[in-house]
Amino acid sequence: MSNLLEVRNLTVSYGTGAPAVDSISFSVAEGAVVALLGANGAGKSSTMKAICGVIPASGEVDFAGSPITGDPARRRVAKGIVYVPEGREIVGDLTVRENLVLGGYQKSAAERRQRMDMVLDLFPEIAEKANRSAWRLSGGEQQMLAIGRGLVADPKLLLLDEPSLGLAPLLVRRVFDRLAVIRKESNLAIVLVEQNLAVTMRLCDELHFLRGGRIVGHRSAEALRDKTARQEAIDAFLGAAAA
Amino acid sequence: MTFWDTLLYDLFPLIWSGMITGCLYALGALGLVMIFKCSKVVNFSHGNVAGLTAFLVYGLSSGVLLSLSWGAAVIVALLCAVAIAFLIYAIISPLVFESDLTSTIATLGFGLIAQGVTLLLFGADIVALDLPIPRFAFSVFGLLVTGYDLTVLAVAVVTIGALFIVIDYTKLGIAFRAISENPFAAEVCGLNLRSVHLFAWVTAAILGVIGALLIVPTTFLSVTTVATFMLQAFAAAVIGGFASLPGSLVGGILIGVLMNLFTFYVSPEFSSTFLLGIILLALNIFPNGVLQRVGGSRV
Repeated sequence: MSNLLEVRNLTVSYGTGAPAVDSISFSVAEGAVVALLGANGAGKSSTMKAICGVIPASGEVDFAGSPITGDPARRRVAKGIVYVPEGREIVGDLTVRENLVLGGYQKSAAERRQRMDMVLDLFPEIAEKANRSAWRLSGGEQQMLAIGRGLVADPKLLLLDEPSLGLAPLLVRRVFDRLAVIRKESNLAIVLVEQNLAVTMRLCDELHFLRGGRIVGHRSAEALRDKTARQEAIDAFLGAAAA
Repeated sequence: MTFWDTLLYDLFPLIWSGMITGCLYALGALGLVMIFKCSKVVNFSHGNVAGLTAFLVYGLSSGVLLSLSWGAAVIVALLCAVAIAFLIYAIISPLVFESDLTSTIATLGFGLIAQGVTLLLFGADIVALDLPIPRFAFSVFGLLVTGYDLTVLAVAVVTIGALFIVIDYTKLGIAFRAISENPFAAEVCGLNLRSVHLFAWVTAAILGVIGALLIVPTTFLSVTTVATFMLQAFAAAVIGGFASLPGSLVGGILIGVLMNLFTFYVSPEFSSTFLLGIILLALNIFPNGVLQRVGGSRV
């Protein structure tokens, strides 16, 4: 498989302190699911924001073989990089349907309608409430809407930032089941940021462990199928923060 | 004079004319609120730029600059207003993403520049701008309705109706509402924030010109006429919470009626004081506007 995303020496700094992301490099193959794991403040979300172009960063990012380092967020969306932010960031005063329109803003009307129908089929929970203001949805439904909004853009790479945050275990399972369906049915690559190793393992192929803005370890999902190996990785790379 | 006479001959006409003027305040307020909602800038140049374009209509149709027909002069003035809005936004857009306060202060500077250009081109004299508004009047249950009233009402209904249709039912309107509420979400969806800001600035400029041209027939045109009119529009925007388009409409009509009643029954000399009093009262009682909606997030 060829690499869809190549990140080289990506660095993100806020102010004059230590960088939030410190010269990290990794790649994502077409159709692969790569997880970034780490405690709060490890630099996971900053990495995602830098890849999707909403915060300035140094280093190099290539997508589908072309450099995108200087591209603004909207151009990256047009190329197929879509970010589903932490905390959902849906637009509460817009209806569910209008939020989906927002997701497919760059698409033609026909293509957007087709993608919206696909998303509403995938998430029947929100399809029933398509004309309701988004702030009226439950937390799980809002997360489905946030993911659905990202999918309307027809991404090649979905950057999913803590989709399980604040959700009950049953809802987390439901959201990850849908992600597994999406993955199976399309060649969508996903970069998944999570603090929860158990749910991450259900979906991903590779895991990168972050601490203090650096990648401190890398394992394939296959290597972590064994419980002992998983515990060793947690102890080695995440330490007390994961306990 | 009986109570019914007072109602019929004083109160109803005052309320009616207040509503008509209020529609114009609403046009001005809608422009201010559109800009504030999406780019978080209070545009203090709104009145002076609208004043400059009203003078342009005068200059282009009276022979001072050119001798165009009235319609052609209005079209050229509208194009100038759009160009000025474009220019102002292009210059301050880097500030908009850095500091709301700095960009707001920058608009004060553009207001002064617009006032200076008006003085430079047209002088400080008061001029009359006669627009071809139908001059007829008829009485409905004792209430005098003029051609001017109906013109203002028709223009306001069409303009505000068209604006609300665009905001509520088009893709651009969805983008405007999304950026107003959550610019980060809009950006990650691939929207060009500057384009949507520009839509708000240009629309506001057009609303300002329409309001300015329609207020002039009730008074005269001087370098401060439209800026003073925009002060009432500002009060209307405050009553609406400065972030609600329907609130601005209600605020404009309320300001028009209240100002009329105060001027007639209390004192025209203290009308500005009364206006400032309304602003203070509205900020204290309805800090989020008269149409404040109960809403929020469930999680």
